[in-house]
Amino acid sequence: MPSSTTLNAESRRSFLRRNLFSTDHKMIGRQYFFLSLAAVLVGAWLSLLMRIHLVWPHAAIPFLGEIKPENYLAHLTMHGTLMVFFVLSTVPQAGFGTFFLPLQLGTQNMAFPRLSAAGFWTALTSFLVLMAAFVVPGGASGAGWTQYPPLSALASAGPGQGLGTDLWLLSIGLFCLSSLMSAVGFVATTVRHRAPGMTWMRMPLTCWSWFVTSILILLAFGILLAAVILLMLDRHAGTSFFLPGGLLISGKAIANSGGSPLLWQHLFWFFGHPEVYIAILPAMGVTSHLLSVFARKPVFGYKAMVGATLAIGALGFMVWGHHMFVSGMNPYAGFAFSTLTTAIAVPSAIKTFNWVATLYGGRIRYATPLLFSAGFVSLFITGGLTGPILAQPALDTYLHDTYFVVAHFHLIMAMAGLFAVFSATYFWFPRMFGRMMNERLGRLHFWITLFGAYAIFVPMHLLGIAGHPRRYSDLSGVQYVAAMAPLQKFITLAAIVTIAGQLIFLVNLFWSMRRGPAAETNPWECGTLEWTPASYATNEGPGEWRPQVNHGPYEYNVPGVEQDFIMQDAPAS
Amino acid sequence: MPIISDRVEIERKPKLGGGGPGKIPHRRGFGGGDDGDRGRPEDFRSRNQRMRRYRIGMAVCLVSVTVVFVALTFLYVFRLGKGRYDEDAHQWVRDWIALKLPYLQLWANSLVLLLSSATLELARRAMEKKEEFAAMGIVPPRMRRDLPWLAITLLLGFGFLAGQIIVWNSLRHQGAYLVSNPSRSYFYLLTGTHAVHLAGGLLALLVAAGGRLFALKFESQKIAVEVTSWYWHYLAFLWFGIFALVHFAGS
Repeated sequence: MPSSTTLNAESRRSFLRRNLFSTDHKMIGRQYFFLSLAAVLVGAWLSLLMRIHLVWPHAAIPFLGEIKPENYLAHLTMHGTLMVFFVLSTVPQAGFGTFFLPLQLGTQNMAFPRLSAAGFWTALTSFLVLMAAFVVPGGASGAGWTQYPPLSALASAGPGQGLGTDLWLLSIGLFCLSSLMSAVGFVATTVRHRAPGMTWMRMPLTCWSWFVTSILILLAFGILLAAVILLMLDRHAGTSFFLPGGLLISGKAIANSGGSPLLWQHLFWFFGHPEVYIAILPAMGVTSHLLSVFARKPVFGYKAMVGATLAIGALGFMVWGHHMFVSGMNPYAGFAFSTLTTAIAVPSAIKTFNWVATLYGGRIRYATPLLFSAGFVSLFITGGLTGPILAQPALDTYLHDTYFVVAHFHLIMAMAGLFAVFSATYFWFPRMFGRMMNERLGRLHFWITLFGAYAIFVPMHLLGIAGHPRRYSDLSGVQYVAAMAPLQKFITLAAIVTIAGQLIFLVNLFWSMRRGPAAETNPWECGTLEWTPASYATNEGPGEWRPQVNHGPYEYNVPGVEQDFIMQDAPAS
Repeated sequence: MPIISDRVEIERKPKLGGGGPGKIPHRRGFGGGDDGDRGRPEDFRSRNQRMRRYRIGMAVCLVSVTVVFVALTFLYVFRLGKGRYDEDAHQWVRDWIALKLPYLQLWANSLVLLLSSATLELARRAMEKKEEFAAMGIVPPRMRRDLPWLAITLLLGFGFLAGQIIVWNSLRHQGAYLVSNPSRSYFYLLTGTHAVHLAGGLLALLVAAGGRLFALKFESQKIAVEVTSWYWHYLAFLWFGIFALVHFAGS
């Protein structure tokens, strides 16, 4: 009998096969989670260094000494790269997605378990390659996470532009492959492996987000990979895809000619803008899911939510030009990009109003996951409102290279994304690690992070409006900028407090992993399949779990039903 | 003793749009990712399910491959039409130097690739015929009429790659290097990217043909051949696209 031999195949595997080289989606999901945790720690540490340097340019950091301008640029680049690639597009999609997509769809594993595992190991290699850039001669790349040529194309252009940039490009090339590998599995799983009865319109909104995000990954990361290869050719084979003629580097003319640096910007942002949605769509999905669970109400406008997710995904590919208003572009093109960008406000507003309407009139349970989800909505609104401002070419010309943009994307992408990751962690922790996290510490963590996020990034808008340029390591000699020093100091202090506040989360996470109270099967009384007792039986690898789905994902407080929620696989009434 | 016909799954072509033909009508309202072999514990590992999920996976990969080639085509056309911006004269200058292509060799390569596509299809059909034996747990017999189609495909595939190397070599002897003009850069880029993709397909076919060496079951071998054949035909199609592009635009 083939079925009985496969039943416990996983539990008979060796320790390493089960814990390290596992093809079980739950283990791979946890592995991604810890990879992102490592990346976020490094990234946060770098942001702390940058904030301290901005206020006290000559302060000696223990073990590192004074931060030189090229170090500042390297920190800037690595902070952006780590946070965007290894945190925001890794943990919400590949981390939680790999763990929960099969469970929420009611199947035992991802469609291609070995491909999933290969994806993780490629991502880990990519992370290690990126980290290696810190210790090579010249240090890490200083061309920003967008790596605009010519700076990124010429090894002689700066200390980190040699080996450091090569490692950056190699790392991101590997990351593209890793993302593509995992996205293929996501699409195949969603299309083919839904449990009987799990129609498209019965999928939890998290699954919808993961599905649409996977499609975005498939369309976007291939472009980045191609662009990275072209840049590598420019650097090492002497081609001139991105290098114009007549450039002088420290007095020496370069041999290349005829390329266009704008070409890189087009390629990069054709990837880069969908990337924003790759980071935020899973976060939106998690938020929709959690608000419904903790308001004990169905998601308001489920179909509209699905439609908005698809609309955001589609529009995301038509707006890349709004990152390039100041790079020089035909005003008509600018107008088109501006209009399309403003159009994204429509599906985003649909989502926002639906979140608020989901909460309205609910019997809200104020648990930590809910707080963070509500925080997501708050930050998404605050950060989103500056979007239409920056979408106007005329305004963007002034604001583009100021802290206003920094404030905008940190609020809407970084902070909102992070809040969704926190809410997902608090919510799914019992399912991932079998124990509960501490509520009291969770709440403390929430309030510190919420006030911290606003304290850091709201003043940055003011800096931007006052014309404080971004990306510079030290502007203390410039008079009008020097006048903003007190505000900068306030931001730095807020950043120190906020980042210190994250230690509470770390303590809570690791303490709860070992000592937290054991979790019940369904601690949040949530109706989706990952909380069914039978789904736990698949813990030891592919079992025989095959639920029959009879209900929608958000059937809370259905009239005439005694319990306030209905599991998706409950018998049809 | 179950009846044999009960254990042989009939391969049905999936219709466009998910669901699949196995959906039982009275369950239509519930739909879902099920294929009619409901209630069988080995569903996740069943032959039909595996085949279908690999097909979806391959289709999805092809989307990604398409994006890359579409992007490169755009770059090619853009660079050809617009030229470079001359900083001193403040205008766009067309600096594209047409490439003298070795047409004889290129047509020979195209023919080889087309033939390999055909032999791969024959290999796939030959395996499909034997599939029912495998489903019954019988080692498929070796038929006398069968040519080793997979090996022939592999040979032709390597032949195509060798032919491409000859093309690059003859261009090199012309003095057309990667860096000498954008027309060269883009020609090498397009053909090189295509060759790398094709080499990936060859690797997959090698594993499939190696079968036993890699401890592949017949079933897995067949799936590998089937999805790789999709990929292979698509690459042949792409090759003609690239050929047309470099012929009609800028040579």
